[in-house]
Amino acid sequence: MRLTRRDFAAGIAAGIAAPYLIKSANAQGATIKIGMCAPVTGPAAESGGYAIKGAKLALEAVNKAGGILGKQGELIVEDDQTTNPGIVLAFSKLASQPDIVGFLGSIRSTQVHAMAPDVIKLGKPVMIGGTDPNLTHMGNQWLFRFRPNDSYSGRVIAEYGVSTLGKKKWAVLHSTDAFGTAGGKALTGALEKLGAPSVLDQGYANQSQDFTPVVLAIKQSGADILGSYFTFENDLGIFARQLRQLGVNIPWVGSPSIVNITALKLAGPALYNTYGVADYAEDSSEGSKAFGKIYRDAVKVAPDNQSSWTFDAINVLSAAINKAGSTDPAKIREAILATKKFAGAEGEYNFDQNGDGLHGYNIVKNEKGNIVFDKHIEFND
Amino acid sequence: MDLALQLLFTGIGIGAVYALVALGFVLIFRATNVVNFAQGEFSMVAAYLMVVAVEAGLPYWAAFIVALLGMALLGVVFNLGVYYPLRHRTYLPVIIATIGASILLANSVLAIYGPQPQVLEGWFETPGIQVGPVYLDSQYLLIIGVTICLVIFNFWFFEKTLLGKKLQATSQDKEMASLLGISVSTMIMITFIYSAVLGGLAGILVAPVLFVSIQMGSTIALKAFAATIIGGFGDVTGAIIGGLALGVIETFGAAYISVPYKDGFAFLVLIAFLIFRPQGIFGERVAEKA
Repeated sequence: MRLTRRDFAAGIAAGIAAPYLIKSANAQGATIKIGMCAPVTGPAAESGGYAIKGAKLALEAVNKAGGILGKQGELIVEDDQTTNPGIVLAFSKLASQPDIVGFLGSIRSTQVHAMAPDVIKLGKPVMIGGTDPNLTHMGNQWLFRFRPNDSYSGRVIAEYGVSTLGKKKWAVLHSTDAFGTAGGKALTGALEKLGAPSVLDQGYANQSQDFTPVVLAIKQSGADILGSYFTFENDLGIFARQLRQLGVNIPWVGSPSIVNITALKLAGPALYNTYGVADYAEDSSEGSKAFGKIYRDAVKVAPDNQSSWTFDAINVLSAAINKAGSTDPAKIREAILATKKFAGAEGEYNFDQNGDGLHGYNIVKNEKGNIVFDKHIEFND
Repeated sequence: MDLALQLLFTGIGIGAVYALVALGFVLIFRATNVVNFAQGEFSMVAAYLMVVAVEAGLPYWAAFIVALLGMALLGVVFNLGVYYPLRHRTYLPVIIATIGASILLANSVLAIYGPQPQVLEGWFETPGIQVGPVYLDSQYLLIIGVTICLVIFNFWFFEKTLLGKKLQATSQDKEMASLLGISVSTMIMITFIYSAVLGGLAGILVAPVLFVSIQMGSTIALKAFAATIIGGFGDVTGAIIGGLALGVIETFGAAYISVPYKDGFAFLVLIAFLIFRPQGIFGERVAEKA
């Protein structure tokens, strides 16, 4: 057989085009793929497991109800290793798959900050659980938040401590990462507005092995109430134990990690009688109760916000794709932003133009290890 | 003053943990001239073994023995699997092998036991005692007590027993030791076993304070490594003093200067030593190796 120049050129063209054609064919495959960056390894691996279970439970329900655009939804999980470089790598692996139509990012603000530039470059919707208010206010139109941000949590902690518990001498303790810094700032700001400026504003580095200097600083400050933003449950556990051992028994209102299952297990009685702002509280709504039942039946563990936000994220994303009738990122974005009065596990979603779906927090109390719902505080701004 | 006393106690307590792990670093370094970067993972593995044994229903003391026996076995496997095949190579492949082994150990425990951090109860029912203005955590008291006992034991073992002297001879000059009829490979095997048990002991003792997690080993090992350099690489007394000093420095630094930079103080001291006194407080006995 004689190879002509025309045959040769056609062969080269086919060779170059083939990978793209195959990729394109895959993109129109049998399933609708959703990528998820989750900590499978690293300090948050346990809570990462809960997050994946929450997402999978939601997707199972979506698939049973007819799926997404008539196809079955499929979750592709990449390990973010609980680190910033880890999530950047995990996201880039997922982003390289053109058939993934939407993503679930991290519950940790610092990780969302790390991946945010790549999210803009990719231009596809990413659901997040990080609560640093800046995440949805820094011009990244592809981030959609499924937890109330810390401008709300700071106000709720301050309001509850000052008005309900009647305490005005605050010690504020926070991690020095993006989440903790933003949370601490929100809380101290809210306290100042209430006329109760903090007597101690103390940061700490994640993965500290000893909190004795912190506890002694709280003791010396003369604070009569403690507000906290802990990123990792093991830090919270060590601190809680040392706080009680060193005789500090002032009321304590913490960010959502204070009611996480892992924190409750590690700290045990040291967290009894503490208060927490919780985006997920099982008795706070019918949607929360329904999720609690599904989760307990499937996972045999009490649900918490690690799993509830991913559960809601999958449900809202799937509904938005169905509503958009397309996997076009811009159309999905519009559909998510148009989501109103969506009853989720975390509460009622009413997305604003920044991509924030929730605008209030629950206050809960740890009564001998049981998390008891007290009240929900909703904001209109 | 009350504050300083409390900080001193806590600093010595956490420093004693660094010292125990640092001791493992030193012993292996003296015997093989390489740094075992899996020393921290020995602590983590032992803590998990302890948890498994306690969950299996063994009494605490029996679980402790089982965990330490497990660590002795790990020391044997580690020596045969990681060090022995590379013993005639330069130090670099061995160090890389220990790093690989540390990753393997961490991921193996993760695969077998899962990512859940575990709670291990302490030896005592009472969490601690109040002595005047100072709260003495019972677990830290135990750690300090064990460290003191180990210092005495090490002195007796290495200076007063034939086996200890054989180990010292091997660490100082393998060829000469061999010529004198000492089985160098047996001595190195014993060193690995002892180091694994020491690392494991540190892990079991600190687990009730820091919880049992995959990361616990690497967190401690990093500080213990710094303590080893500060004390003087290759010096047993230096490892103990370096560990205690590091614990006290970072605790006082956190209390009086800055909490977020607590780890920074430890490494600042390390850098200062590397610049101004690289041989550490007690210095390495270079003359013996020359």
